[in-house]
This record gives sequence, C-alpha cells and structure tokens, in this order.
Amino acid sequence: MSTVVSRNYHDGSSAAVSSLEEESPSNTTKGLEMLLSQPGNRVCADCGSPDPKWVSLSHGVFICIKCSGIHRSLGVHISKVISVNLDEWTVEQIDSLIDRGGNTAVNMRYEAFLPGDVEKPKPDALLEERFDFIRRKYELQQFSAVQTVSASTVSSFKSPLQNNIPKNKYFEKQHTGIRHTLAQAFRNSWSKKGSEQKAFRSTMGMVEFVGLIKVNIIRGTNLAIRDVLTSDPYVIVTLGHQTMKTRVVRRNLNPVWHESLMLSIPDPIPPLRLQVFDKDTFSTDDEMGEAEIDIQPLVEAAKAYENSFLNSEPIQVGKWLATDYKTLVNDSIFSLVDGKVKQEITLKLQNVESGHLEIELQCMPLSQ
Amino acid sequence: MGQVFRKLFDTFFGNKEMRVVMLGLDAAGKTTILYKLHIGEVLSTVPTIGFNVEKVQYKNVIFTVWDVGGQQKLRPLWRHYFNNTDGLIYVVDSLDRERIGQAKAEFQAVINDPFMLNSVILVFANKQDMKGAMTPMEVCEGLGLYDLKNRIWHIQGTCALKGDGLYEGLDWLASTLKELQASGRPTAIGTSTF
Repeated sequence: MSTVVSRNYHDGSSAAVSSLEEESPSNTTKGLEMLLSQPGNRVCADCGSPDPKWVSLSHGVFICIKCSGIHRSLGVHISKVISVNLDEWTVEQIDSLIDRGGNTAVNMRYEAFLPGDVEKPKPDALLEERFDFIRRKYELQQFSAVQTVSASTVSSFKSPLQNNIPKNKYFEKQHTGIRHTLAQAFRNSWSKKGSEQKAFRSTMGMVEFVGLIKVNIIRGTNLAIRDVLTSDPYVIVTLGHQTMKTRVVRRNLNPVWHESLMLSIPDPIPPLRLQVFDKDTFSTDDEMGEAEIDIQPLVEAAKAYENSFLNSEPIQVGKWLATDYKTLVNDSIFSLVDGKVKQEITLKLQNVESGHLEIELQCMPLSQ
Repeated sequence: MGQVFRKLFDTFFGNKEMRVVMLGLDAAGKTTILYKLHIGEVLSTVPTIGFNVEKVQYKNVIFTVWDVGGQQKLRPLWRHYFNNTDGLIYVVDSLDRERIGQAKAEFQAVINDPFMLNSVILVFANKQDMKGAMTPMEVCEGLGLYDLKNRIWHIQGTCALKGDGLYEGLDWLASTLKELQASGRPTAIGTSTF
C-alpha cells in the first residue's frame, strides 16, 4: 500500500512507475499464479467466459470484466471487485482467496440449490441476464444454503453474508426504486441493438488502452555538444498524445538517468518517439537528436506471453538484429522475466552529429 | 467600446467551455456519472480500462469531462490529463469506508500536482442512497478537505443512479469558474511545450 501513498506525481521520474515493477512480494505473484492455474478459475464463475481477469474479494471468485461490472453495481458491501493485473495485491487478499478454494468450491456453495429452471448466463449473455443471476446468486443468495455458507466463510474480510442479511431486507424495502432504475439501465443498454446501437455508440467517447508501457531511460553516451563544451540533456518521450520527460542532467555528455516513465498504449499503436534536448535557461532548448521505435512487436510479444508464468531464469524470446535496423547500435533483445516481456535497446540518435541512448521497455498488455 | 459589450455579452449569454477531469478510486461511479450527465440515462458500465470523454452542456457552459480509469495501476496515468484543466471532479464511493484513506492519499497527490494547483475542486460523495454510506461531511473529513489552504472546493452528496446532486455540483462548478474568469484569475495552468 505504501506505493500508493508515497507516489509522487510531481516529477516525471520516480515512483509513479512502481506498478509495472515486480515490487509486490513474489509470494503474492506466485499465489495468484497458482490460483489462476486451477482449472475452475480459468473461466468466469458467473458466465463461463475464458480467462477471467477480475476477482470478487468478498466471495473469492474469478470473474470476467462484464460480470465484474455487475458485481460493482451491487455495491462494495455486497461485492468488492479488484483486478488481477491492475491492482496491487496483498498477502492477506491472496490468502483469503486460497482459503475460499476458488471458483469451483465457491460455486458449489453459492449454486448448491440452483433450481432446474434457472439457467446460468453464457459467455455471450445479455447484461440484464447477468444482472439478475448475479444479484440472486450473491446478494439474495437464493441458490445457496445460507447456514452452511456463513458458518464456513473465512474471516479477514467481513463476510457479506454475516453482515448483510438484515441489511438486504432493508435494501429490498427501501431501494426498490433505484434497483428498478438499475435494472432498467441494463434493459436500456442491451435493447439498443442494431442501427440504434450504432448511432448511440458514435456519441460515446470510450477509448480503451491496449496496454501500459514503461520506458526506462537508462543513459546517454557521447551526446552532442550544445553549450560551450557540454550540454544539459533531458529526454522527452512521446506516445500518441502523451508526453513525459526526464529530469535535466547538468553539464554531462554521458548522463545517467535511470528514470522510468509510464504511458498508456492507445489503439492503433503509434510509434514511441524519443527526443533529447539541451536545457537552456534563456533561450529555446536545443535539439540533441531523436529516435523512433515501433513498439508493436513488443506489445505482440507481451500478449503472447501474457499467461505464461515462468518464474525461472529470464529467457530470450526475440531479437532485432542491428544489421537490419540502422538506428540500432547493437542487437535488441526481447526477454521474458517473471512473466513480463522486456526489450533492451541502444539507439543511435538521428538528425544529430553524435550520441547513443540506452533504454529498456516493458509492456503490460490489458486484454480483458 | 464594442469589445467591452462583446465581453459582457459573452459573460452573460455566451457559451463557455470548460475542461474538467473526473478522478477517483475504481468503482466510485465516475463512468455512471459521466453518462448520466451526458445522456441522462443510467448505463450499465464495466471497469474503465482507459478513459471516456464527453461534452456535457449545462446552462450555458459546455463541460468537456474526462473520466479516467481508477484501478491502482492506472492511477499514475491520471497526470496525463492534468494540463489545461479548469476543474477537478473527485468521486468517492461513500459506502467504501475501508478505502477512504486510499481515496485521500490519491486525492492529495492529485491536487498538489503543479498542473492542478489552480483548478477548483468539486467532490462528489457518491452512492448516498446506500444505507450506511458516509455523509458528505464524513467524506469531507476523510479526504482532508478542511485542511486545504487557498483552494476553492465544494462537496456535494450525490446518487448517480437517480441523478441527485449531479447538476447542483455542475451549477457550483459553472458559477465558480465564471466568477474566477471574470476576476481574471487563471483556472488552468496551460503549458507551452508539453
């Protein structure tokens, strides 16, 4: 949790980046991998979609993004949802998940008395079907043997079952109005099919990231002179509309930054642009060269290895040959370290008389 | 003279455009609020992996509202939306007492960012319809709003599902930003190069 609190938004450098790093204790990563590899957890506990990336901590199930939206709409007192990839996990959260036994065990309890006429939603189920089923399964607990469950639920999280049975009743009475609104919303969203849906879509400005990229600016060597004998270099990284910059290293042609900058990857994937500048106090900063990198191969590789949990030695998964790319100083290696794909690159800066830039890229795909 | 009239006319009748960024922890209700304001309907939402942006017209102000995903690992990306922002809408799930500390830490980091120092702050204490929700007063305390120095802020209890409080909030935002602009105070820090 400390990473969140201490995060520093002020300079482009710094802690803001912790998230892509394997800073989380390896036992949480290992615990999650172990859980994700159980067959029952490889499909959504509610609709059966493959590869669920979301978890209801309150109930200990792996669910897909669509069902996670429904869980969230029930309120945090019914279902607390976090993401496998996009949230930091604590050891207690993992332990609680392990204790509950994963999708198969939890479903055996929550769906113990699933009546013959109630059908579980399919992966392509409409939102309204999901809403009805998920609400009945977790909030109203119509399919489970309540006594058994509340006796066996594990501590650490306040069990919604123990807490909310009286609350639910209240809820029923007090909030039918709003519940109705919500149910109506699901009807609204899925009834807008066909042309109406298209027209509707065009007004929506949802932009989805295909992933996150961490650009580690390691060092520059033999950079160009822009002041009398030296330069005050810094680097600007641009991806689509996002721009970040490193700190300025004063009077140094071989600056060491070791700064990580995080950007989101839009779709279609634009090239990553790096520009080196010389900081001038009284005039416009001078250019010291630039380079462009196609990050598509990195994103592809990261997607391909997304679900591989190889915690052994780092292994090489690809290479760009220096002979094929005029901007490369030496071969660029793609390696798989702790399930994440990294690319090391040393670039010859373009449009400048001299200078190399050493960087490392790491990509986290966000497929749902 | 003509210019003065033009300016007066714009002040009273013209459409103003304002850029607003809406942030908050995951599942606070940001996307639901955005679409309730934009199309007046409650949409079923899924977690935002990226951002939504919509124009919302209220009275004679056109708000461009950016709604950015709130999961832990997406929060470092919030700063990409700070430039030229007139107002911050910070959304809190009033039911989530467990994470109010986390909501505070993120809130304080955002409002102390150099690019956000001039922006006005509207806090939505959302999900007020839920039993056991923190009152706007409690959320206020939880975020440390009372300790803010030299900042213009307002807290509004809301229920996005019913739409309660949303327009009251925009009302405050619109009139506050107009006053500030009329008094010549900058509301956003623009940037020349970045």
